[in-house]
Amino acid sequence: MTIAVNAGVEGQALKEAAQDWGAKTDTSIKIVELPYANLFEKELLDLKSKTGAYDVIMLDDPWFPQFTTGDQLTSLDKMYKAAGLNGPDGDFIKSTLDVCREPWATGTYYALPYVGNSQLFFYRKDLFDKYSLTAPMTWDSVLLAAKKIGAGEKMYGYVMRAAAGNAVVTDFMPLLWAFGADVFSADQKPVVNSPEAVLALKFMLELGEVTPPGYTGYNADEVSAQLLQSTAAMSINWPAWIGPMDDPTKSKIVGKIAFAQVPSEKKKGQAELGAWLVAIPSGSKNSLKAFEFIRWATDSEQMKTAALRGNPPTRSSVFDDATLLKKFRAFPTQKASLMGSKPRPRTSAWNEIENAFGIYLSKANSKTMAPEAALNEANKEITAILNRNK
Amino acid sequence: MARRRILWILPAMVVLVSLSIYPILFSLKVSFTNQQGDWSLSNYSRIFADHLLHVSIIQTILYVTVALVIELGLGLFFALVIDSMGRGKYFFRAGFLAPMLLPPVVAAVIWRLIYNPEFGVLNNTLKFFGFATKNLTWTSGEGSAMASVILVDIWEWTPFMFLLISAGLQAIPGEPCEAAKMDGASSLRIFKDIILPLLKPTLFLAILLRAMDLLRIFDQIWILTQGGPGLATETVSLYIYRTAFRFFNFGYAASMSLLCLILVTVFAKNLFGMMKMKVA
Repeated sequence: MTIAVNAGVEGQALKEAAQDWGAKTDTSIKIVELPYANLFEKELLDLKSKTGAYDVIMLDDPWFPQFTTGDQLTSLDKMYKAAGLNGPDGDFIKSTLDVCREPWATGTYYALPYVGNSQLFFYRKDLFDKYSLTAPMTWDSVLLAAKKIGAGEKMYGYVMRAAAGNAVVTDFMPLLWAFGADVFSADQKPVVNSPEAVLALKFMLELGEVTPPGYTGYNADEVSAQLLQSTAAMSINWPAWIGPMDDPTKSKIVGKIAFAQVPSEKKKGQAELGAWLVAIPSGSKNSLKAFEFIRWATDSEQMKTAALRGNPPTRSSVFDDATLLKKFRAFPTQKASLMGSKPRPRTSAWNEIENAFGIYLSKANSKTMAPEAALNEANKEITAILNRNK
Repeated sequence: MARRRILWILPAMVVLVSLSIYPILFSLKVSFTNQQGDWSLSNYSRIFADHLLHVSIIQTILYVTVALVIELGLGLFFALVIDSMGRGKYFFRAGFLAPMLLPPVVAAVIWRLIYNPEFGVLNNTLKFFGFATKNLTWTSGEGSAMASVILVDIWEWTPFMFLLISAGLQAIPGEPCEAAKMDGASSLRIFKDIILPLLKPTLFLAILLRAMDLLRIFDQIWILTQGGPGLATETVSLYIYRTAFRFFNFGYAASMSLLCLILVTVFAKNLFGMMKMKVA
């Protein structure tokens, strides 16, 4: 059985689980480990040409709508039915199960959730205590705290990533949602130039004033480096960076960082969901074994083992496990964040939309375009993309 | 006899057809299909309306022109200086080639660290000498990003120009220069009237090889800026890659690739023509 996994921290637990399962069931396992961008290309090429090169694929949830077009993935509903089962159990956190269905939240299951990633808010608890600040609940309080800490310490109050494309969009989405805006209206029309979205972008630029000057070129690595080196006090970040914050070989701030849910503003704060899923390509020649494996790998016992290997779980019971809670102090916040998280818009053209949106957000952050003009251009571009992909 | 001749060139023909002609014809076919797989001219009509492509073409031309002119100028300068040195010539020649030996990806990663506004060696060195570095954001600034990526290219590929020109200089016979010197010609006059004309074939070759490589620029920019901030460093190669492998629109990517192929072929043919004319 051949399994394609992401060559990074998200793929490590699945890789080890596959080897365990191979030994347990006496199945020969071949792991194909690919970096993020290559994984997408190779998997989609395999799905489109139905070569059957992979029996199980690991996929990032924004890829799911594109991967489910044209009967490319095996319907798990049918497999569950054939096995005399009803479907995934209720222990999975709903937001992570919803992105495994096409249409979103209501349709057929084509995947199971394996990595429960959603954004968290990282902040320096020691500095918040020093300046008598309460935990950041709203974006306004984040800005005030960032100004206060920035003025009193030799560091920046906030750090965010605004490199063109995925990076800037990822950090902007929680702001967009908190300010009451969205990418699409209820009838699926692009509305990134709404007055609420303009306010969100203007707020992002205000945050930019308390962020290191090079942030318009930052990706996740640079943001985390600023926190680890104690040169910035707050950021939005992914669970994969929780471990390094408390690792003395990498961090100057061991034990000083606290984790919170993404702040609110006009609406309750919602983190962006970045779950990793496992699915079976319809070209797989070992689909029954593959189904057996993905069910085994996502059961509570295996997910607990995966959590110990550094994998953020997608099951409620694993987040509540007493042994794990002692080891992973951010689990309660991670669970709450994951339960309230929101996925990126469910469209097969999301990669292209994110790229166009990211270009104009990046231009606004670089101050070469006014926020209104940037969002108007982004809206035009997104409309054109949707028209082309009709 | 004719049959034997055909047999001799058959392996070369097979390689040419399977590795060059067939992929080009296949790309041509793909370029005339839309995302639903139907025959369509939409990819070619989109080329004229796509302003992201137009921006990336302009920036590619800017990138190629600036990098090429500076690399050629510096390569010529260093080749003349190092070639005229007595002792230490071989030491400097070997040392000068070091950047070119690095894989472009490694060079880009090194420069990404150098350019980091907070932790990078560049801003920290400038800070040490008392310069204000707060606004020196290098690859992160929309105004400075293109210059920063061009600087990396110059650093890495000037040695290539130097190497070619240096070899060209060594092939120039010494007698004409010595005779001119005895007649009292200045160094500038010798360079202008003897060295430069004899060096022209080498210079044209250097321009051709480097320009074709620059037109394909991808890895350095991808690692340094991924085309940003905004569209500040987006080039045609990056845009084609994104269209094909991120947006999975192979038809449009194929039509843009064929357009590039035509433009590069026209450029190379003209340069070859100029080269032949000047050499003649």
